[in-house]
Amino acid sequence: MELFTPDFGLVFWMFVAFIILFFILAKWGWPIILKNIDSRADNIDRGVEYARQAKEQLDSARDEAKKYIDEAQKRQAEMLNEVSKMRSQLVEDAKADAAREAKKVIDAANLAIEQSRKKAELEFKNEVSKFSLEIAEKMLRTQLKSDKAQTDLVNKMLDEIEKN
Amino acid sequence: MLTLVITLFDAALPARAGGDEGKSDLDVKEVIFEHLGDGYGWEVPFSHVYRIPLPVIVRAEDGQWFMFSSAKLTEVIVEEDLATGKKTHHLKPVIHDVERDGKVYHFVIAHVSKHKNKVVELFPLPQEKEAEVKAIADAQMAKPGAEPAANVVGGYCEVDNVYYREYRTLDFSITKNVMALFISVLIVTWMVMSAVRYYTRKGFKAPRKGMGFLELLIDFIYTGVIKDTLHDKARKFAPYLLTCFFFILTMNLLGLIVIFPGGANLTGNISVTLVLATLTFIMTNVLGKKHYWKEIFWPDVPIWLKCPLPIMQIIEIFGIFTKPAALCVRLFANMMGGHMIVITLVMLIFIFAAFGAAAIGGSVVISVIFTIFMVALDVLVSFIQAYVFTLLSTMFIAMAQENGHDEKGADHEDVAEVEA
Repeated sequence: MELFTPDFGLVFWMFVAFIILFFILAKWGWPIILKNIDSRADNIDRGVEYARQAKEQLDSARDEAKKYIDEAQKRQAEMLNEVSKMRSQLVEDAKADAAREAKKVIDAANLAIEQSRKKAELEFKNEVSKFSLEIAEKMLRTQLKSDKAQTDLVNKMLDEIEKN
Repeated sequence: MLTLVITLFDAALPARAGGDEGKSDLDVKEVIFEHLGDGYGWEVPFSHVYRIPLPVIVRAEDGQWFMFSSAKLTEVIVEEDLATGKKTHHLKPVIHDVERDGKVYHFVIAHVSKHKNKVVELFPLPQEKEAEVKAIADAQMAKPGAEPAANVVGGYCEVDNVYYREYRTLDFSITKNVMALFISVLIVTWMVMSAVRYYTRKGFKAPRKGMGFLELLIDFIYTGVIKDTLHDKARKFAPYLLTCFFFILTMNLLGLIVIFPGGANLTGNISVTLVLATLTFIMTNVLGKKHYWKEIFWPDVPIWLKCPLPIMQIIEIFGIFTKPAALCVRLFANMMGGHMIVITLVMLIFIFAAFGAAAIGGSVVISVIFTIFMVALDVLVSFIQAYVFTLLSTMFIAMAQENGHDEKGADHEDVAEVEA
């Protein structure tokens, strides 16, 4: 039965001890701890949220950067393409120009050759006709030395005219 | 494990002392009750007669206050058996005489008295009266089937075969339990203050190791119990509830350590749990809201249950007191039961010792296995009981803090579940 009877002295000391403990802890203990636990939990939540956002931003930044790089590469390829097209165009143009120029030169040359040939031909003709006239004169001179020959020729010529 | 080994040692010593005399004067009940109860001195580890003296503070019948060392109330008698040379030690109560203002006061720790194991003030009787009292005691002893304690006569105390009139002093002694209480207070204060120091110094740095475990416990109770139940009022009641939890937990675990700083069966003492339950009772009722009192005096039930005959009111008022009473008894019975089972299991060894060596061997193995199991279970129970006390206190307080109907039903169910 002794166990079930509260002992006054112990009740008194228990009360005193608990009240003292309670006041010490309620004043300098628990509020600080609880405030810290709560604010740290908030802090961690905020930190996690911040990290999540940062990751999101990083991801989007990475995507954006990738987009820029892709675009730049595309433009580079386009530009290269254009440049090569332009180059071949230039070469082509240059070739065409050169051909045209050459043709012009050749044509001019041909013309000049033709002209000089015609001129030479003409000169040659004149020369030849002069020579042949001279030859013919000489021949005539030799053949028509006698009067008879002269009369024969005149006759012959008259015959020819008559035939005509 | 250590606790267990020490338990065995501790219990073994008095038993051996008893066994040496050749007769089995091992009083199991006495040993169990001594371990469960309070004492004026604290056992020196591994010795069963020497005690660490503690101050005894008593008020005599004429209102005088006295304070003296508990060592003055006991005496160690060493008996030497001449045949074997073995020494046996006994702890014997002695009368401590204090002279003040020409008057002599006698104090003793009563043994054959209604106030067993308490400090009483003695008044010598005139010879005829003394003989008369002794005759009554002898007559009680002579009855067939009389118990060993049958020589107790109400209002009188026997010391060394002389009867005195006794007065149970008003006793504020720093007994073993009170000392253990102070040690628990110091431990809890140190624990909490070290956490505070940690937070003020390290700020938001995550605690590791011991501090981490402490914070785990704090968070477990604060977030898991207090915040979930009291919501926005959590901060207001958290200091009380957390103090309760840590104080009870510390006392429970300290009680399981058998040697000096521990060993006092504090939470297994009804005085301690009574104070705790009373404080919860005060917290619940003094700070209770209007709605709580309305529920008691005018509950929401059919009118015939409350009007001509206040049936519900009686039940509710009864309930106000049964709730903390249940708290008190639950903690007390659980902890005392645990201690009692462990000590009984250990005592089995010495009970079976009478049947010879084989019985000792067998009972030691079985007892040790069961004791290990029980001590491990007690560690768990220490935690669970501290938790349950805090949980129920929180719920009682929460019920008194409600303003409306919405949550009431749910809370009642929760309480019923836990109580079951």
